[in-house]
Amino acid sequence: MRVCLLLFLTIWTVLVTTEYPTLSAEKEGRQVTMKRLLPQKVEDYKADGKDEFYDRNTSFRYMDGAAELYRSYAFKLLLVRKYVKTNQPPILVEFFDMDSPAEAFGIFSYETGEEDVKIGQGSDYGGGLLRFWKGKYFANVFAERETPFTKKDILTIGEAIAKNIKQDGLKPKLIQYLPEEGLSQKTIRYFHLHQVLNHHYFISHDNLLGLGPRTNALLATYTFAGEKDRTFLLIIQYSDSKQTEKAFHRFVKAYMPEATSSKTVKTENGKWTSARLYQKYVLVALDAPSQEKAEILIDSTEKNLKRRQP
Amino acid sequence: MRGRKTITRRDFLRGTAYTALGATLGSTLSREIKAEEKVKVILIRDENAIDQQGNINPKIIQKMLDEGVCGLLGEENPIQAWKKLIKPNDIVGIKSNSWFNLPTPKELEEAIQQRVMDAGVSKNKISIDDRGLLSNPIFKSSTALINVRPLRTHHWSGIGGCLKNYIMFVASPWAYHGESCSPLASIWSQPLVKGKTRLNILSLIRTQFYNRGAHHFDRRFVSEYKGLLIGKDPVAVDAVGARLLQLQRIAHFGEDRPLDTTPKHIFAADEKYKLGVSDLRRIDIVKLGWTEGTLL
Repeated sequence: MRVCLLLFLTIWTVLVTTEYPTLSAEKEGRQVTMKRLLPQKVEDYKADGKDEFYDRNTSFRYMDGAAELYRSYAFKLLLVRKYVKTNQPPILVEFFDMDSPAEAFGIFSYETGEEDVKIGQGSDYGGGLLRFWKGKYFANVFAERETPFTKKDILTIGEAIAKNIKQDGLKPKLIQYLPEEGLSQKTIRYFHLHQVLNHHYFISHDNLLGLGPRTNALLATYTFAGEKDRTFLLIIQYSDSKQTEKAFHRFVKAYMPEATSSKTVKTENGKWTSARLYQKYVLVALDAPSQEKAEILIDSTEKNLKRRQP
Repeated sequence: MRGRKTITRRDFLRGTAYTALGATLGSTLSREIKAEEKVKVILIRDENAIDQQGNINPKIIQKMLDEGVCGLLGEENPIQAWKKLIKPNDIVGIKSNSWFNLPTPKELEEAIQQRVMDAGVSKNKISIDDRGLLSNPIFKSSTALINVRPLRTHHWSGIGGCLKNYIMFVASPWAYHGESCSPLASIWSQPLVKGKTRLNILSLIRTQFYNRGAHHFDRRFVSEYKGLLIGKDPVAVDAVGARLLQLQRIAHFGEDRPLDTTPKHIFAADEKYKLGVSDLRRIDIVKLGWTEGTLL
C-alpha cells in the first residue's frame, strides 16, 4: 500500500513539475493572444472587464451539451467577452481558438444559410447573430436584445475583431478535390462526426460510414443545368485503408444492399446514389438526377484525387 | 448491433422508418392501449401570462401553477395539493435552468418556492439552483426535488426538457452525450436523485422550437405559447413537449423541419430505463385555460 502511495506521489510530482507547466504555458499563450485580438473599445462599446475563458472540458459550464459540437472539432479555447454601451443592450462575443484554419472553417461551415456580410474569410449574419472565421479563429457576435441599431453594432464589432487577425488561413485540403462545375460554394461543410453529417444530410442514426475524430469529411451540393433539385457529394478521408474498406462495405450493405458492381442505385425518391472506394477515401453521390450524373460526379472527384494528391 | 435493424434515410423515404424504429426500441406501438394505463399531464395556458411589454405576470404564473397542480392531483385547494407532494420536514431542491438566453422564468421559480413554503417547509430548507447544485448543501441533503425548466430544442439531444435538466447532477455531463444523449435517464437512478422528484414542470411561457447553430438563441424561432406542462412522469412531460415543438415547427415553416438529432433519450427513458411513458397514445393531456393556438 505504501509503495503504491509513493508511486502515485512520484508520478503526480513529475506531472505537476514538468508537463503541467508546459500545458499551462501553452494555454496562457493562447489566452494572451486572444485577449489582444479582441479590442477593448469599439466606437462607443467598451469591454466590461469580466472576460471568461473556457477550454474543452470547462466549455460545458458555459453552453451545456452544445459544447459537443465545438469539441467535435479541435477547439482549444473560448474567450467570452461582453461589450457594453449606455442605453444599449450588451453585445456578446464568443471567440474560439480552433487550433487550425481548417477547423475554424469547419465549425463556421456548420451553418451558412444567411447573409454573407463579408467579414473575415467567411461570414453569415441572420437573426441577430454574426458568425465568421479568419485564420484559426471562429467568432459568434450577438446582442442580448435587439434594437434598430443591433445589426450595425454587431457588424462593427465583428469587423474590428477580424481586422485585428492579421493572418488568413487555408481551407481544408479536401476542398481541392471537389469538382467545380455546378458546385455551390456556400454549401461546403467540413466535419468529423456522423452527427454533423446527419444535421446536413441524414443517412442513418447508426454511424455506417465509421466517422470519428480521425476522419475528415466534406459534404457539398451541386445543381446541374436544367435541374431544380440539389445533388450531394460526400468525400471522407480515413486514416488507414482497412478502416476505409470496412466503412465502405458497411455503408453499401446497409444503405444500398441491392447495388451491383457499379455501386449505383436508384433510391425511393427517384434519385440516384453512387458510392466508390478510392485508396483511403470513400466518395458518395446522393440524390443525383440520373445514374449518369451520379457517376460523372464520382468520376470527376476521383480524377481530382489522382491529379492533386501530394 | 446484432438483431437490431439499421434505420436509414431510405426507410424514411419508404415510410417504414417508424415501424423499424418501433421494432428497434421494442416500442409499444402495436400494443393495445387500455384507458387505465394512461399517464396524466396537465397543459395550462393563459393569454395574459406575458404583457404587451414582454414582461411575465407573476400573479398569472402563480394562478397557472396552482390550477395546473390542482388539476393534476384532483384537489381544489392548491396548498392542499402541494401538501400531497411535499412534507413539512422535507429538504427541497428546485432544479431550475439558468441558460442565459432562455432561463426558467424567475416568476415561476418564486411561485413554486411559495407553494413549497405553504406546504410547511421553511425557507432555509429550500434552494433553487442549476449549475452549482453539486456543491449546494440543500441539494446534497435534499429529500425532495421539483424539476422545472423551459422547453427548447437542443443541438445534441434533440430537445431540452425535464430529462435533460438533471444532467447537472453528474460531475461529467459529457459522459451522457453519446447516442444523442440517450443515457440521460440513467441519471435518475443516481443516489442524489433517485426517488426524490415530486413534480416535473416544463415552462412553455416561451418555447424555442427551432435553432440555428449549436447554442444560439434566435428570436425568430421563439414562441410566446404562455403555458405550463405539469406532470409526475418526466418522460410523459418530455414526450408531449417534443410533440409540441414539432407542431410549432410545422406551424411556422409549413413543413416538419427536422431537429439536429432525434430526441432518442425520451424513448430510451421509457423502453430501456423504465422511467415513464413516451407513447403519446398512453398520455392523457388535460388542457386547461386559454385554447387559441394550442396545437396539441
